[in-house]
Amino acid sequence: MNEETFYATIRELGARYRKRDLSPVEVTHALLARIERLDPVLHAFVTLTADRALADARAAEEALGRGDGRALLGIPVAHKDIYLTRSIRTTGGSALLADWIPENDATCVRRWREAGTVLLGKLMTHEFAFGIQLPGHRFPPARNPWNLDHIPGGSSSGSGAALAAGLVSGATGSDTGGSIRGPAAFCGVVGLKPTYGRVSRAGVLALSWTLDHAGPMARTVEDCAYLLQAMAGHDPADPASSRAPVDDYLAPLARDIRGVRIGVPRAYFFEGIDPEIERAFEVAIETLRRLGAEVRDVQIPSLHATHSFLLILMAEAFAYHERDIRHHPELYGDVLRERILTGALVTAAEYTQAQRIRAQICREAAGVLREVDVLVTPTTLKPATPFTLAQDPEFGFPKSNMPPFNLTGLPTLALPCGFSSSGLPLSLQLAGRPFEEGAVLRVGHAYEQATTWHTRRPPL
Amino acid sequence: MTDPQELTMEELRDRIRAAGVTIAEHRLAMVRKLLADALAPVRALDSRTIKTVEPAVTFTPAREVGNE
Repeated sequence: MNEETFYATIRELGARYRKRDLSPVEVTHALLARIERLDPVLHAFVTLTADRALADARAAEEALGRGDGRALLGIPVAHKDIYLTRSIRTTGGSALLADWIPENDATCVRRWREAGTVLLGKLMTHEFAFGIQLPGHRFPPARNPWNLDHIPGGSSSGSGAALAAGLVSGATGSDTGGSIRGPAAFCGVVGLKPTYGRVSRAGVLALSWTLDHAGPMARTVEDCAYLLQAMAGHDPADPASSRAPVDDYLAPLARDIRGVRIGVPRAYFFEGIDPEIERAFEVAIETLRRLGAEVRDVQIPSLHATHSFLLILMAEAFAYHERDIRHHPELYGDVLRERILTGALVTAAEYTQAQRIRAQICREAAGVLREVDVLVTPTTLKPATPFTLAQDPEFGFPKSNMPPFNLTGLPTLALPCGFSSSGLPLSLQLAGRPFEEGAVLRVGHAYEQATTWHTRRPPL
Repeated sequence: MTDPQELTMEELRDRIRAAGVTIAEHRLAMVRKLLADALAPVRALDSRTIKTVEPAVTFTPAREVGNE
């Protein structure tokens, strides 16, 4: 199998399977060999499920032989290791759960299995999706395929790294403050944080239940649409799950973006931005204009108070972890323990005020989205952080462009929009109205088709 | 005089005592920064100028986050 086949899109793989030009078993064998070669350095996988993958691939091959037309049939995927997998250990990247084998699949895991995907394994996550692993941690951190000295972003770190390295075609991620979009941005791939309530979180380890979102990551916008299609929809097992009907996410990709109204909320999103990202963003805006979009600046004044989202996140994380962290603090990594314990220091009044600020941001964003169809911003303020900085105990929790869309719950897509002079990926963030994933996918796909950033490969 | 928006080390220690948790002494400066940064927007807020959060119980099932 040649190198480019590892980067084939879901549509390309499906077409080749159906032409008998390639088989799921052949692809799975090749991917297992590639993972064995590359992962000792990348650490994208926590657990490799080779036997399961080959069994899934054989089942897909038989189904293809019967004329089964499911889009994800035989597509190789892996799950972030906070998604519960039946009979496969689920660690959460934590020593606390290092040997835990769940009895049930998360809803998303089950839905992708029922869609005919091939499960290659479980992917590295920051510890409980919140604490970067320092040297000596039981689970070494994943590395960025574009530059091994840089982090792949977090917390869906293995998902970003595995996609960029051509080890899987799709991966799950979770996003509480940017954990799908950050790794997508740092690794030069695509990540979609769906609308709050669109994708079930049942069977996904919680971090902060009013901010947590589950969603897909892939290498192209179209691949994300395919993966979302198979995971979206009401689930009574998630109390926040919406009954809103599931749209066709592929259909909007066929439409151009002439006349689409795009808003740029310049305040907040450009404070502290790297000049290379700002330049790439302005070029991307010109591309969107050239494609026929109407782009104008908009204002969401209360975003200046976004950082209070951490009060919500840390307080809810402490509430979730309280029993374990009080009884077994030694089983938590240093960074995570500190962050969760800080949640114990937030007063009830402060938590409530943070939720009131959140409501204000939601109201203002909803108002702006009556005037424009989609918002566009840079996904991150800087390219991928070097490990030397990220693992510095003083690094803290810097300002980020992603939490505003966890607070508002709006569907938000991150996709590549360039490279830094040092060869690290840069990224664009598109947000839409609630349950209008199709709109952000449409704009993202049009932009992607007009550029070549998604065709670049890391130097592996 | 202490800035009312500042989180002093004394206040941090009071909060740690009240919460009944243990945080290593050499990490207190980091925790203080983490909490102070998150608290800054709340401490700058005039709580009378912002609407109350909607009731937790609602009988309009179609209502979704972010929809007006």
